[in-house]
Amino acid sequence: MKFKAFLTDNGVSLLDKRFLPALEKMGKICHLYLTRDHIYFLHNLLNGDGIQCIAQFRKEALFDEYRLSSQNDDRISFAIDLSLLHRALHSIISIYTEFSASDSGVPGGNSAPNHIQIKLVKKLPPHSQQPMPFLTFETKGYKSAVIQDVPISKPLSRSDVLELQAALDMAQDLPQTLIQVPDMHQLQNFVEKMKNVGDVLSVSISKYGDLHLQVSTSLITLGAEFRKLSVIGEQAQSPTDDQNLSAQSRTRIALQRGDAMTVQVSVKHFFKSLQCHAAKPDCAFYGIAQQGACLTVVFQFFIPGTHQTDKAISLHCRLPVLDPGAS
Amino acid sequence: MSSSAVEPESPDLVCQLDNVQGVVDALTSVRWKRQQDAVVELSEHGIVLIVEETACLQAKVYLQRELFVRYEYSAEGRPRFGVSLGLFVDCLNTFSVQGHSSAIELRYPGPDMQLLLKSVESSDSCTYAEIRTRIPDTISWDYNFEPAGSTPLSFTVKSAALKEAIDDLEWPGSSIHLILQPTPPSVTFRGEGHGDLQIDFMCQANTDLLVAFHCDREVSHRYKYKFLRATTSNIPSSVIRDNRGSKLTIGRGGMLKVQHLVSVAKPAIPHPHVDSAGYQQPSRIAYIEFFVKPEVDEDDANDT
Repeated sequence: MKFKAFLTDNGVSLLDKRFLPALEKMGKICHLYLTRDHIYFLHNLLNGDGIQCIAQFRKEALFDEYRLSSQNDDRISFAIDLSLLHRALHSIISIYTEFSASDSGVPGGNSAPNHIQIKLVKKLPPHSQQPMPFLTFETKGYKSAVIQDVPISKPLSRSDVLELQAALDMAQDLPQTLIQVPDMHQLQNFVEKMKNVGDVLSVSISKYGDLHLQVSTSLITLGAEFRKLSVIGEQAQSPTDDQNLSAQSRTRIALQRGDAMTVQVSVKHFFKSLQCHAAKPDCAFYGIAQQGACLTVVFQFFIPGTHQTDKAISLHCRLPVLDPGAS
Repeated sequence: MSSSAVEPESPDLVCQLDNVQGVVDALTSVRWKRQQDAVVELSEHGIVLIVEETACLQAKVYLQRELFVRYEYSAEGRPRFGVSLGLFVDCLNTFSVQGHSSAIELRYPGPDMQLLLKSVESSDSCTYAEIRTRIPDTISWDYNFEPAGSTPLSFTVKSAALKEAIDDLEWPGSSIHLILQPTPPSVTFRGEGHGDLQIDFMCQANTDLLVAFHCDREVSHRYKYKFLRATTSNIPSSVIRDNRGSKLTIGRGGMLKVQHLVSVAKPAIPHPHVDSAGYQQPSRIAYIEFFVKPEVDEDDANDT
């Protein structure tokens, strides 16, 4: 089992400034899953009840000279603590940039280009007889070379990797209707305050492009409706006579006509999913999976300077649906 | 049943606010613990919200009709209802989004005696809430505030300084003596408990701090620290920022009245070239009043 690669500058900034801060909010521990062409950060795919978060990168988006081999069809996965990973990367970057800055000022000075190398190693930790697996970062600074070892779990067994891949395949299904979130910041602000009022959030999404959020307890009903949002996938013309109805009536009618779906999710999960905004996506879409199996949020990233989707990067979350009886 | 089905029956009150944050600030200032029941009283003059605790502390927030951009009152008498203060504030807070002018409409009663709120900003997005109301509890203690004598016993101090002083008194804790004396004109807070701490506001020494002072005889009363603290613990930051003063008056029997002013002005766009005059309409102020009952023991009848 071998993994060795060099982080590209773009990869460094993607991870350090955008993805790791966002993924840390999804949960401290995740699975890092490496295949021949892709790198995945996966939350809660094997243990079912939390919010599932899938961040996928094509190897070129993060790495140069990506070398990976394992007896399990060149797939490696292990659990890693994201806050440790982020800290290690952050410290390595500071050394790396110091060197690069000093290097650039001297024409013909240091000819060997600097890199951040990342690899999988087994080492004897201090005061231990048992070698342990680490993900190691290595770079050299102006006067020093730095190695950061991030402890990881034992690599997943063949059967666990298969299970992870199966869960990942399952999680790639997209809802039939996706609607675009109008103003991520505003929604985040609103849901953050909504958290104080109740725990269970009803989310209704219609083919007309309506998003309706509602928290309801025995003491209060609080909701927000956003209309005329862009729709991807199945859409429908909204009835012309629903302009003067209340948001609740409008949603009820859309549900009756089969033009909308509604699910209940945890407000906290919904808020967490909005925190993926830290990864600086260009837009975000919500949709409800078939038969209301989960609420999906898909973040879209554009190739810088264009409005074309960057297919090398993808991020989406699946929020578990609460049993209405349980609330 | 959709809400439109009951529209013909005219509600007691329909009003519109253009500064939700100001009202959230005003209501938060009387929120001294998590679970608090409030009584709301509606009248043609405005809305009054009352909270109290164990017959020792009462607070009122006056939202006069001038604070509302629209105020349509059509009830007879003064309708009252009970509501959870925390829920009401948390709910109003969701309507206050930074960077957006958040105008909302309040309506009472709804089809099921709810308090109804909704945003009135745009047709493509809307926020709404229905808060369940209760039949209000009777106010357990009469907080009729009467002057202690022919001349008032009162002082006005910068709100920030008052809050700081009361925060500092947390250390001795338990009960706090408030002493007013005419010569030299001064206000003293003295805490005796886990140690002694005395804070003096000297009228002559610091005219900036003590804005007004009326006292013709020495008075001294003791108040429970936790009640005194409730009067300043949640003063909104806008009060401190605006450098406002708080007025404290001692009434008959030693009852202490603490008054704050909270700005509910329309959120102004900061403009460096415009003079501050006319920047804030004087009528757009919410009045907050606390009434604190003194601690009474047998040998403490020195209110002469």
